[in-house]
Amino acid sequence: MKRNPAALFFVAAVVAAMLFVGFHSARRAGSGNSDSLDVTGKPAPDFTLDSLDGKKIQLSSYKGQAVLLNFWATWCGPCKIEMPWFVDLQKEYGPQGLQIVGVAMDDASKDEIAKFVKEMGVNYTILLGKEAVGQEYGGVNVLPTTFFIDRDGKIVAREFGLQSRSLFVDNIKKSLSQGRAVQAQK
Amino acid sequence: MQLMPRSKSQLAGVLLLFAASALAQSPGKKSPSVTLAPIDPVSVTRGKGAEVSLHFRVAAGFHINSNTPKSEFLIPTALKMDAPTDVALTKTSYPAGKDMTFPFAPDEPLNVYTGDFTISMMVRPLHTVQPGKYAVHGDLKYQACDNAACYPPKHLPVEFEVKVLKNATPAGRNPAQSPHAHR
Repeated sequence: MKRNPAALFFVAAVVAAMLFVGFHSARRAGSGNSDSLDVTGKPAPDFTLDSLDGKKIQLSSYKGQAVLLNFWATWCGPCKIEMPWFVDLQKEYGPQGLQIVGVAMDDASKDEIAKFVKEMGVNYTILLGKEAVGQEYGGVNVLPTTFFIDRDGKIVAREFGLQSRSLFVDNIKKSLSQGRAVQAQK
Repeated sequence: MQLMPRSKSQLAGVLLLFAASALAQSPGKKSPSVTLAPIDPVSVTRGKGAEVSLHFRVAAGFHINSNTPKSEFLIPTALKMDAPTDVALTKTSYPAGKDMTFPFAPDEPLNVYTGDFTISMMVRPLHTVQPGKYAVHGDLKYQACDNAACYPPKHLPVEFEVKVLKNATPAGRNPAQSPHAHR
């Protein structure tokens, strides 16, 4: 059977390109990455969600503060690891203008979520999530997913899956130090 | 020249294969999956029972909670089937999960399924059911995680066929050879 050298070369080139792309996307992916749209560098989509104590909370009401927006669920083991960190980070960076907001992407009832939050000793705002809000953030297909929003409401970083505490600290510092509100204070 | 269209289709096939392969190998693009092995039709005499085994496989690198996870907040793997009228499904039997620790919970073992696991149940058509073929539908609800992240709950469709036979007692059967004789 006669083989077409050009076709073979083309196949080899395509395979090599795919392996290259696959390797680099795997490296970039890190742990627990998602195929969601990258919204980093863009304004954080505004939303209004109910808090556990029944208040309507609008994200844009935090403008002027840095926000760590964490999508989580009661059934998510890695999310449980982060929550004590967030408790500490809220205490440490709250006075500098950080507000941590947890959005529960859960089918569990409000009471069950409240029970879980109480057990974890959470001291930051917890909102009852909706799928549509996740979609606004590019589709939250992996939990935890965390967005870091600067004082102007711009997303400066996002992390998928469980990451190191130090990475959170770095991103918090970045979100606290960026934005026109910071420039005006200087 | 007649080889060209065939070569092109082969080329397209190879490209598709490698595209799928490249996507599957990227952790970020790989979605957690549980698959179900094909199920042979189940033949059962009306009034009697037959066991059906459903063989599932959890994709490498992922785990799902067992049917009896250790925390009330975890979502158990659960099979929910809708049986046709007069064909009862009973005794759903889940395997024991494995206690495993993960980097996100090194001191708190989770009871999980990984790799292959089998759920079985009994199919028992009533005496009154008409002989024939009956479709049984349902789904497996599961919630998967890997070592650093979790994924929303999913439903895997489960479907098999039950062939209900008329004869209750096959001729010439020796009761001593019944699998129930020694129980």
